[in-house]
Amino acid sequence: MISQKNARLATLAFFLIFVSTIAVLMARQLNLGPTRPSPAFRAFGPEKAPVQIYEYTDFSCPACRHAAGDMDGLLRIYGQSVHFSFKHYPLLNIHPWSLHAAAYADCAGEQGKFREYAALLFENQEKWALAKTEPVEFKQYALSLKLDWPKMTACSGAPETLKRIELDIAEADIKGVNATPTFFINGKRAVGSGQLLEQAAKFDNLPGIRK
Amino acid sequence: MNGRTGIKGTAGLLARLAVAGVFIYAGVTKALAPAEEFGYAIEGYRVLSPHLSLVAAHLVPWLELYTGLLLAAGIFTRLSAAFAAAMLILFEALLGQAWLRHLPITSCGCFGSSGSNSITREFLQNLVLLALAAAAFRRGGAFSADHAADKK
Repeated sequence: MISQKNARLATLAFFLIFVSTIAVLMARQLNLGPTRPSPAFRAFGPEKAPVQIYEYTDFSCPACRHAAGDMDGLLRIYGQSVHFSFKHYPLLNIHPWSLHAAAYADCAGEQGKFREYAALLFENQEKWALAKTEPVEFKQYALSLKLDWPKMTACSGAPETLKRIELDIAEADIKGVNATPTFFINGKRAVGSGQLLEQAAKFDNLPGIRK
Repeated sequence: MNGRTGIKGTAGLLARLAVAGVFIYAGVTKALAPAEEFGYAIEGYRVLSPHLSLVAAHLVPWLELYTGLLLAAGIFTRLSAAFAAAMLILFEALLGQAWLRHLPITSCGCFGSSGSNSITREFLQNLVLLALAAAAFRRGGAFSADHAADKK
């Protein structure tokens, strides 16, 4: 039979385990967990900038295309004070080519042209996003940027490339991201361009901001 | 101070709190991050399949957190310290085989993506923690819930 002492200790242990589990689960939802740094080709601006922005985005999503323009505008104005990390969050169930686009963009990044390739993907989104077969545009954009296409195709299927994207997706899931684009601006969530610009309007009040 | 007074009791208490602190930190940092991240780190040791690595990645952070909390509070202190030591021995075995097989692991995954050590550093750190866990097992009863429950 369990002694009274052991029963008391077991109750205390159960209480500690319960409370700590709830605390960690709540901390996940409040985005208190660490955020993995994006690879260098997907991170822009000074690392120690006063404004840290993480964007979870999908190349096939129209709202993300719109937000990409706003983000570029913000980087032009606050480039010295913003560190921007691009994270992939392809919505696999509704966008058949967004995972491919993400992989190709990363592979373009490995050849030093992530930003240029990403810009082409967003600008011409309507041409390829809902294609029935693999869009030829992926190759066209690569060639127009003078990228090594055979190297890009090999890279896009490499486990390392897919792993990196899967980790971005898993990280977004744990942070409760369920719409694109979702931004975390100094830890504060913003969904879509409107909320991004609303928070950006307050940048001027932050210490250490330079235009 | 209670029952186990003196230098040895204090050393046991400090050892218990040190092991508890490391376990809580390691557990929380990994529990707050996606399990897939730790799962990939485990896969790198080439002992478990990807599926089992992910299962382990879901379980281990919580086990570390709970063990750390029980140790910190001194609940079933000897059992908690023994369990912590068992986990450390398992980690050492994984690190040791990776080192012997020259596996290309640059980060052990022990503290999530934000702060992992190299295999060698982690192996040495775990040896120290193992010694501390042994001290906590032998003399970690001071200021513990176990001791408080004994008094009632």
